[in-house]
Amino acid sequence: MLFNTVPFFIFLAIVLLLFYTLPRSLRKYLLLAASYYFYMSWNWKFIPLLLTLTVIDYTAAIMIESGRKIHRKLFLIMGLAGNLGFLGFFKYFNFLADNFALLLGRPPHSFALQIILPLGISFHTFQSMSYIIDVYRGEQLAIRNPVDYALFIAFFPQLVAGPIVRAREFFKDFYAWRPPVSEEQLRGVLLVVLGLAKKMAFADQFAQIADAYFSHPAAHPGALSAWKGAVSFALQIFFDFSGYSDMAIGMALLLGFHFPLNFRRPYLAFSVTDFWHRWHMTLSRWLRDYLYIPLGGNRHGTLMTYRNLMLTMLLGGLWHGASWNFVIWGGYHGGLLALERMAGRKMFEQKPPAWLYPLRAALTFAVVSLGWVFFRAATFADSRYVLSQMFRRASGAPNLLIPPWLVWMALLSLAAAFLEEHFEWADRLPRGPAWAYAAALIVLLFAVEMVGVTDKQIPFIYFQF
Amino acid sequence: MRTAVILILTLAGFILVENLIFNTGVYPAIVDPDSTTGAMEMRLSNEMRRKAGDRNQVLAIGDSRMGFFPRYPNQIPNLGYTSATIATPGTTPRCWYYMLREADPQANRYAAILIPFEDYDDLETWEDHADRVSDLHYLIPLLRWTDIVEFPRSYHSTELKFKAALGIALKGTVYKTDFQDLLLHRKFRLEYAAQARRESHQWFYDFKDTDKNMAGVVIDWKARKLAAPPNISPGDVDTFKTQLLEPYPEHTGRRSAYLTYWLNRICDLYRGSATRLIIFRLPRGPYVRPDPPPFDPNSSVRKAARRPEVILDAEHDFDFLEKPELFKDPHHLNGPGQEQFSRALALRVRQLLGPPKAP
Repeated sequence: MLFNTVPFFIFLAIVLLLFYTLPRSLRKYLLLAASYYFYMSWNWKFIPLLLTLTVIDYTAAIMIESGRKIHRKLFLIMGLAGNLGFLGFFKYFNFLADNFALLLGRPPHSFALQIILPLGISFHTFQSMSYIIDVYRGEQLAIRNPVDYALFIAFFPQLVAGPIVRAREFFKDFYAWRPPVSEEQLRGVLLVVLGLAKKMAFADQFAQIADAYFSHPAAHPGALSAWKGAVSFALQIFFDFSGYSDMAIGMALLLGFHFPLNFRRPYLAFSVTDFWHRWHMTLSRWLRDYLYIPLGGNRHGTLMTYRNLMLTMLLGGLWHGASWNFVIWGGYHGGLLALERMAGRKMFEQKPPAWLYPLRAALTFAVVSLGWVFFRAATFADSRYVLSQMFRRASGAPNLLIPPWLVWMALLSLAAAFLEEHFEWADRLPRGPAWAYAAALIVLLFAVEMVGVTDKQIPFIYFQF
Repeated sequence: MRTAVILILTLAGFILVENLIFNTGVYPAIVDPDSTTGAMEMRLSNEMRRKAGDRNQVLAIGDSRMGFFPRYPNQIPNLGYTSATIATPGTTPRCWYYMLREADPQANRYAAILIPFEDYDDLETWEDHADRVSDLHYLIPLLRWTDIVEFPRSYHSTELKFKAALGIALKGTVYKTDFQDLLLHRKFRLEYAAQARRESHQWFYDFKDTDKNMAGVVIDWKARKLAAPPNISPGDVDTFKTQLLEPYPEHTGRRSAYLTYWLNRICDLYRGSATRLIIFRLPRGPYVRPDPPPFDPNSSVRKAARRPEVILDAEHDFDFLEKPELFKDPHHLNGPGQEQFSRALALRVRQLLGPPKAP
């Protein structure tokens, strides 16, 4: 059940209807059952894994909270080992096995196993790990009711691709639940429709161009095609993932849960540092709080800071997928962050003057788009080829076409992002006049109807992670 | 409560604006004339704009096999009937019902409607015609909110039922590809659509087809083998093989049910009307297999023939046109074939209807 399909909206409508008609005491059971049903609709075989991880973390947290200091650490390590063990096996076993085979001079898949990656495992293990670490740190009480904890892990709006929510954020709403007020309901609906429009009318349109290019880069030689392919993917991944996040946040809001923002107009960033303050913010926050700071952050001198930055970004890259391309992508961003830090924090953390801002934003977008080549290309060789084409003098034959109307739509969305950056119109809409809200929603519905891709189903990119 | 009111009004506003654009004549007027929708829309609007001088009008409907060109019968002196056509390639009996409902809402414009059939025995087809998604695209300008139950229900697949219902409620979902093409070629499209409105009548009515023919195919019916001369394309050879040498598809009654339903609906349009529905069998092809399909006394056309508004023409009236020299491919008459067929059909209609009525 993809978020952008009719069966999902029927499912959502039924869940909302039942949620608000059932007695309050039964609602968590409904949400848990709905979440498991949602997960099973993808592949029921992964439910035991989800349940196992739930039991491990639920038990570990209680043991950590009630144990003595030495035991607490032991239970934390056991809990983390459980999570990382499952994640490592399902996600990284074949990667490691292939590299091991390569080291021994054997064919690449000599030791590989037939493993299907369980949906959303990277997201829910990170969420579980943050929970037990928070319990260990004393920042979060262990949840005693197993149903409550199971719902935190399996809550369907964010189960498969985030946002990565912290336990205290979730349980604050859960234990002090209040029905969403009118403004929140309107905001929830707006976010769901906005996310749908981002996914279907923008991401899926750009996906067709990016796929056409990256499936056979050599068929489209020249700098122009390479940049078109890379920029198309940059736009696809933004609209795809931020669209998914908007929908997840919107649905949660309709159920009375307030999820943190995951994207804040990342392509308006004026530096790579600024970009990472705006892109996949819940992952950045997780990496900062549970990796970068525990590694020492910037507390142990310049060199250690760069090392920590680099390690965090390399592991962040690896989190996305078991491939050297993702590691390189992480390393590329780690390197850029380190470089910016070296050049001076003020320069890259403070907004530049208005005259310089467009240039800096465009440059940042170009630099980030270069990085996406590693993210999207099927192999390292493909990445090298695409990058070499991007810096060729010859522009090449214009055989990779971006429809002009799609360019206009992208420019319109850029204008909308600028307006949002300065006036926060999307935030104000639910509070503003009803006609303005209705007009915005109608425009979005038209975008979905008229330019949304419906003849093929293109899965959300982050579902594979 | 405030949320519900705002959301209901928003949804109503969206549906209203959507219907104003797509459910009125606004968008169909600029739809791509070469698209399925455009092809049907052009023919239908030409016919609706055509000034009919009297009641002695004969309208032909059908698909691309309906090689009836009104210019030939309209040249026959003293025929007494004026011919017109809205036959559109790719359309099916389900489409014909909605096209006739639009072209003749009062069921009194024509003396006769000419309805072609490929056979009189509801021979099964490999394809399930009820699940032709293209029908939705052909018919989208003609479908109304009141069709939201019957039309979707006529599909067998649940997915297509849903698609059809959604298409009727929100026509933009069907016009989407055309709309995206319009965004790509705005100027060309608007000019082309305007040109089609002005000139497409001539395109269809004055169209002169090729003289290419299918002569030279040698068929060994016993050995089930076929040899074709090099001028016949491999695609046509394959079609001949399937059409002539393969066993008939197993009879399931699926096609019979489909034809019966839509033929009845067409008859219902003209119930009690003076218009006659003339059903006839098309020339089957340049070569005809020696084993005819099993005779079905209760086939859709034979059942329809029991209704007073229907005239069922003799099954073999146009067999004399089943010659390789008169076909351009395994299914379609060529230029000379179309001329002979048009004249012969018009004369047969004159016989069946009798003398024209006084204006």
